[in-house]
Formats: sequence, C-alpha cells, structure tokens
Amino acid sequence: MHAVHTGAATTAPVSSAPVNDAIVVDGLTKTYPARGRSDPAVTAVDGVGFRVERGALVGLLGPNGAGKTTTVKALCGLITPDAGVLSVAGIDVRRHRSQALRHLAAVLEGNRNLYWRLTARENLTYFAGNRGMPRRSVAKRIDELLERFDLGAKRDALVSSLSRGMQQKLALAVAALAGTDVVLLDEPTLGLDVETGYEVRALLREMQREGRTVIVSTHDMPVVQDLCERTVVIAHGRVLVDDRVDHLMRLFASRAYQVELGAPLSGAQIEALRRRLMHVHVVDDGLRVQVELAKGDDLYALIDVLREGATPIESLDRRVIDFETVFRRLVKDGAPNGDATREAVIDADAQLESARSRLRA
Amino acid sequence: MLTVLEANVRKVVIERRRYLPNTISLVVTFYVIFLAMFLGISVIGDPATAEANLRFAIVGNAFWFLLLMGVSSMGWELTTEATRGTLEQLAMSPIGLRAILAARMVGTLLVNLVITSAMLVLTMLTAGQWLSFDLPLLAVILAPTFVAVVGLGYAVAGLALVFKQIDALLQVLQFVFLGFAFVPLSVAPWLELAPVVKGIDMIRAALIEGVTLSAFGPRDWASLVLNAAVYLALGLLAFALAERRARARGLMGQY
Repeated sequence: MHAVHTGAATTAPVSSAPVNDAIVVDGLTKTYPARGRSDPAVTAVDGVGFRVERGALVGLLGPNGAGKTTTVKALCGLITPDAGVLSVAGIDVRRHRSQALRHLAAVLEGNRNLYWRLTARENLTYFAGNRGMPRRSVAKRIDELLERFDLGAKRDALVSSLSRGMQQKLALAVAALAGTDVVLLDEPTLGLDVETGYEVRALLREMQREGRTVIVSTHDMPVVQDLCERTVVIAHGRVLVDDRVDHLMRLFASRAYQVELGAPLSGAQIEALRRRLMHVHVVDDGLRVQVELAKGDDLYALIDVLREGATPIESLDRRVIDFETVFRRLVKDGAPNGDATREAVIDADAQLESARSRLRA
Repeated sequence: MLTVLEANVRKVVIERRRYLPNTISLVVTFYVIFLAMFLGISVIGDPATAEANLRFAIVGNAFWFLLLMGVSSMGWELTTEATRGTLEQLAMSPIGLRAILAARMVGTLLVNLVITSAMLVLTMLTAGQWLSFDLPLLAVILAPTFVAVVGLGYAVAGLALVFKQIDALLQVLQFVFLGFAFVPLSVAPWLELAPVVKGIDMIRAALIEGVTLSAFGPRDWASLVLNAAVYLALGLLAFALAERRARARGLMGQY
C-alpha cells in the first residue's frame, strides 16, 4: 500500500520526502467558497494523500465530483489548496510552483488544450517557446514526435481540421515535448474510437518506458485495468483505496462465486443468503446464484444455507470479474478491510478447494 | 524570456496573417471612422482650423486603434483562452502566466504598430496632410507609453481571469480610450494623471507641431516615465491579485 496517513495537514517542506517519489500528496484539503446563496461552499477534497514512485503508471479513479480534478489541478498549481503538502519531483508545488512545473506537464482538457487556428507543428513550437525552449533547438525533436505520434502527414494541417483522436495525440505530443519527469492526464481516452484509444494507451506505455511517471485520471475502467499498475480511488473527497490493480482484481475475484444448483432456491434460503452475504444475485428461476463475499469464511455460510435446504450443488466456481465491477463495489461498499481481506486473497484457492471437499463429503 | 517573446510574436503574426480578412476589416473599420471625421472636419468644421483638426484626427484615430488593440484584445484573448481550454496550459508554464501575457501584449503591440503605420499613411494620403516623423523621438516617447498600455492590459487581463464575461466593460473602455486619444491636455490638464494621455499628447506635439526632443522639458519626461511606471505597477498588482483569486477559487480553467 502506498496510502499516506492523512492526519493534520502540514505545510512543511517536502525535501525530506524520499527521492524515489515523483509525486507526494499529503493532507490535501480544498473547499471552494460559496458563490451566492444558491451555490454553497463545496469541500472538494478533504485530507487526500498518496505517493507515486518515479516511473510508475498510476490511475486516479473516482466518480464525478469525487475530487480527482481538484487533486490534479492542485498538483499543476492551478488551484491553491487550503491545506496539505503537494510535491513534484521533491519540489514543493505551493512554495516553488515554477520550479515544480519544470518537472511536470499535463493534458487536462484533451483536444481543448490546443490552438485550433494553428497547425500541429505551430502548436508544438508555440508551447515549447512558452516553456523557454528555443524554436531552433526543438525543431528536430518536434519532427520526431510528429512521426512517433503518427501525425507526420498532418504536421502543417490546422488543428481544427484534425480528427478528435489526432487532436488528442497532438495534446499528448505537446506534453511529451516538454520532456518532464511527470505527466498528468485527465481523461486521455474520452470520446476516442476504439482504435485511437488503443494507440493512446500504447503512447502512454511508451512514455512510461522512457522513465516518466504517468498519472491518468479517468472514468475508463479498461484503461486502468490494461494500463495502470496501481490505482488511487477517490470518493467524496477522500482516498478510498490505494492499491495495485491486479491485487484489487484478485481480491474481488476471490470473493465472487457462481453456484449452479440442481433444484431452485426457496424464498427462505434466498432471504437467508441476502441476510448473511454481501451481494446475492439469483438468476434462472433460482437455479443459479451469484454471490460476492465480504470475507473468505462467508463461503461456508453459503454452503450451510444450501445444505440446510438440501439443495443439490451442480458446480461451484469463481466468477470472472472486471475492473468496472471492482470500482463500483469499492465506491458503493467502501474500501476492503485491510489485512483480513488480504489474507482472504492469499487463501482464496485453498478456501475454494476446502469448500469443494466439504461439498463432496 | 526572449524565447517566450519570439514564440508569442510569431503566434500573433501567424494568426493575423492566417485571418487576413479579419485584420483587413478591422483596419477598414477604423479607416471608415476616420473618413467620417475627415468629412465632418472638411464640410462642417471651421475652414481656418481644418488643417490642424485633420492632423489631430489622423493621430487621434491611430492611437485609439492602438490602445484598443493593445488593451481590449488582452481581455478578449484571455476570455477566449479560458473558453478554449488553453489558458490552463499557459498557467502551467514554468515561465509563468504573467511573463507569457507580457510577451503576448508586446507581440500584439508590435504587430499593431505596423498596421497603425500603414493606416497612418493611408489616412495622410486621404487627407492630403503630412505629419512630421522624427522616428528616434517617436521611439523614445512610444516606449514608456507602451509600458503604460501593458499595465492597462494586465489590469484588463486580471478582470477577465476572475470575471470572464467582461464584454460590457470592454465596450465602455472603447469610449474611455476615445477620450484618452482625442482630448488634448491643454483642454483637460487633469488627464495627465490618466494612463497614456501624456504620451499621446507628446506624440501629437511631435507629429503635428514638429516639436523636437530638446523642446520637451524635464517635467514632460518625468511625467511620461512616472505615468508609465505607476500604471505598469498598478496593472501588475491588479493581475497578481486576480491570479491569486483565480487560483484560490479554481477559476483558471472555468468559463
């Protein structure tokens, strides 16, 4: 786990932070002031904290209004937080914004981050100039990037004439040209067709391979599942979970079962299951039941209910679960219960085998 | 900083060239306004003062255009950038939004200076009145005058940053600038305290009356430089406060 304990917010310098962290967010709190009576003050984030190691590709997830954008914009120095520590490459964003921004590039609004009246090449040259990179010294690099991002044929086309996917890739190229250690992306695949979405994913992987730290704030679950090693889930302005994606997948998959039955469940059995287990979904007129367990031991409760009704069990299998289901469960039910559930993951296979043995017996 | 200046001057030039019809229509509008003044002075005005009045109109019209383009365009541009989503990108530059805006304003002023020069020649041709151009003197007066324009530009940009919809204010500013460009200090001496008026008054004296560098006294230069310094400082202060408020309220990318 990389979660940072988010107790009292502090504005102490972060120079003591391990150099291995590209991003440190600690105790980030921001309340937007009221704008008249009809628009009250809103606490967007309340003590958000996480760290991102150098070279990692991390997903920042959360439902609408969770506080993702505030977190990302605070890291970019676009929003001044009320409290908390923000550092990029060990530099305090609040105290030394300009220095921190030398290590960070961001694509916040996708294709809206470009000048539509300029060509692809002119956009790259202009943004490089605004970072203090002379036109002549970046000319070659711009050509390389245009080729790499498959925009070579469109280098002199106005951005307004490019497709949304090309505009998105150009926005990524602008971020890549900055040559920063950290790249922040807000919804990089939003509105893209499947093919371009895959191209963008490949480009992000490439950025990571180059040694950059990439943070992707998104609603696109397949992107997180496919791309990110780790995810930080934010809900209601707080970090709900901060864990490896594969670990979360295993954790939830270990608790999702499907039981095929030889006889339909009775009403009393269904009620008993719903009372004792977390999520129970009965299908095929009671001949199939899908459950998600809060803890590994609940599997025995399921078997007990079936045994009490003498319901024949045809098969008992793990259910395939995607990251979207994991995310929905996280947001709905809250964070998994730390060590206990972690042990459940480790023991999941043993538990299933044990349950099957008991059934056979 | 030179790189930022070059990037922004190039952007302004590219956009003006790419949207040439728009640039031409702008110049034509001001030329038509001048023609109206020209007709008014020639037909209705006192024939004895017609020549002096025409020269006055030529200079006043040119500086009205320059002021409007230099100051109001910052408000329009910032509002447009916020709408497009590019403002946040500028605000994330390690060089800083303030420096980028300065470069943008200088670029806009330089490009508009070229357009204004062409417009001056056109209006002089139309009126048959020729002004005396002492280029070194003009440069010396224009430099601090432009500094004050940049100060005003920062103030307008700051307002646009926080309030976004400042169209009504920009409309009103057109008439305020009309006053700055046309009312001479001999008529309203207190206007010396207003931004850029002293500079325009000195340029008018140089262009119309052929006043030379040595003819301006230390008080004139002191007033010109002080005016520029005060309005630049006020503009920067207003922008810094607006930027702080925009970052505190999360207004940088909102429209």
